[in-house]
Amino acid sequence: MSSTIDSGSPAAAPTGGPAPKRRAPRSAGTPLALAKRFLIAREGSITVVTVLLTVYFIATLSSAFTGTENLQALIPYFAPYAILAVGEVFLMINGEIDLSIGGVYLFAPYLYYELANGHVPLLVAVLISFVACTAIGLVNGLITMIVGISSFITTLGTLFTLEGFTLIISHAEQVTAPGSQLAGSATSNSLSSFASVFGAGTYSELIWALIIVAIMHVVLTQTSWGTHTIAVGSNKLGAAEAGVRVRWVVIRNFMVCSTLAGIVGILEAIRTSSITPDPSGAGVLTLSAIACAVIGGTLLIGGAGTVIGALIGALFLGILQDALAIKGVNADYLDFYLGLAILLAMAINTYVGRVRKGSGLG
Amino acid sequence: MADQALPGEHIVAPTSASDDVLRVEHIAKSFGPVTALRDVSLHLKKGEVLGLLGDNGAGKSTLIKILCGFQKQDAGTMWLKGEPYEPKSVENARQLGIDVVYQDLALIDDLSVFENMFLCREQRRGRFPFLDKRRMKKETRGALDDIGINLPRLDVPVARLSGGQRQSIAVARGVYSHADILLLDEPLAAMGAKEGAMILELIARLKDEGNLSMIMILHNYVHVLESCDRVNMITDGIIALDKPTKDTSVEELTEIVVDEYRRARAAAQADEAGGRSSIAVAEPDAS
Repeated sequence: MSSTIDSGSPAAAPTGGPAPKRRAPRSAGTPLALAKRFLIAREGSITVVTVLLTVYFIATLSSAFTGTENLQALIPYFAPYAILAVGEVFLMINGEIDLSIGGVYLFAPYLYYELANGHVPLLVAVLISFVACTAIGLVNGLITMIVGISSFITTLGTLFTLEGFTLIISHAEQVTAPGSQLAGSATSNSLSSFASVFGAGTYSELIWALIIVAIMHVVLTQTSWGTHTIAVGSNKLGAAEAGVRVRWVVIRNFMVCSTLAGIVGILEAIRTSSITPDPSGAGVLTLSAIACAVIGGTLLIGGAGTVIGALIGALFLGILQDALAIKGVNADYLDFYLGLAILLAMAINTYVGRVRKGSGLG
Repeated sequence: MADQALPGEHIVAPTSASDDVLRVEHIAKSFGPVTALRDVSLHLKKGEVLGLLGDNGAGKSTLIKILCGFQKQDAGTMWLKGEPYEPKSVENARQLGIDVVYQDLALIDDLSVFENMFLCREQRRGRFPFLDKRRMKKETRGALDDIGINLPRLDVPVARLSGGQRQSIAVARGVYSHADILLLDEPLAAMGAKEGAMILELIARLKDEGNLSMIMILHNYVHVLESCDRVNMITDGIIALDKPTKDTSVEELTEIVVDEYRRARAAAQADEAGGRSSIAVAEPDAS
């Protein structure tokens, strides 16, 4: 039964009554307006900083930085962070956080290793590991949303649990990642197609990162999954009143985040052909991923965020790390610069946020 | 008449009719030690506008939230078009034809106007999961034009809008959801006189069409008498009055409320007196 004034859908209703005000003149179009629109976009500030940084490094390092070899070497510096950051973006928009991705990152390759050693076909072992990571996300989500513990605490718990569990099953020993050895006979010099796809191929991680970023960007901006994610982070009660299944939205995002962490864990294991139970490295990875999301323009308080921003944030981190290495700058400086970058990016974002509020642009 | 409002003294029995689209009987709801609804029974006829009145905290909003599937009653039964009505969720209730405009509006500040309009009933492109934003914007524009609300842009976050504009979007969302029954919890709360008049005009138009039945919480008795066919007044968790609008008046409604205030004040004074004596007893201990 239709409740509309006129028959048919509201869209078909003639626009009777007071004449609708004409839309505000579209300022977008002129280069200046476009530039303004871009600058106040959520990803705007980090993009500008990243571009400036790149230009600076190209100018000072020239071919050492722009060479194909270096660009290839750059990939592992940012692709894993980009994938992890995308998962965090969804949770951070929800107003939640996942600290356990470091634990999942450690655990997934060991599960894969154990399965492969148990003569499970490699591809199946990888898929089972991914599903196991999804299940870890489900547990994170259930504890957070059903038991009602803050996600910070929940995932802190699962982080240590997974790290500890990984150390136990691995006896804290480094192992060789199954499937990462050279394909076929020992004399063959080419990678197996399995290894090429899952991390060892030169562009493998880049392709994974770009595909995941593309998919999740579409999910966030073009589907009701994304709309509901923003709704829950912005106004949990209002979203529930409007009929959004708040718990499911958050749990689903936990599952995605953990799965992405598992993917990164296995990609990195096969790329480096070794699996190392190193919780401190995993901790740094977690915080870096969150940093990428934050400097990319995603708010920790929820309600807003961008997947593309997380990618650019990761790119920023990668370029900084890579170029400082080429420059021969002491690695100790890296964290220092990264810290300053986070502070600067957040200061700009906050300022730009104020400008955005007054501009009438979304 | 005022005597009816005494707790438990007289509960207005619901008068049953075959053209009831919604009937609820003996609804009770408590939140911990607080009893919001003791025993509420009411009915809604097809095409009828029922005004729900009552003091702040009388349980009106709780009743609306139970009817729309957001909360579950502790006791009591509901029927929708003759069928038992047990909504599992807001979405479920919406599918069954009941939609609601909440007092707090349930708008998402960070989502745009059209995204709020279609929250939880997003339009998709055919079978794909992708949102059809163009269609949602167009339909939102149509709905707002129809009410007479002018918004230059539909892709701005609703956080940018005025209280009245936000309220109109919330009302438009409910009205254009193709519901059979619309529950409105203070639809004019944040509105200026002009916007309020627009909404009342819209409600009058919907009433004339006769397809939509409405339960509306209002505080302004002039609005109630103007827009509603019948009024129910909730006092102390029960329906204390059930009358066609034409048989009542602003004076009568005011008298009930004034009387309620008088009793409440007397009770408060009694409490205060009791409180003082207890403090007086406590004082020697403290010193």
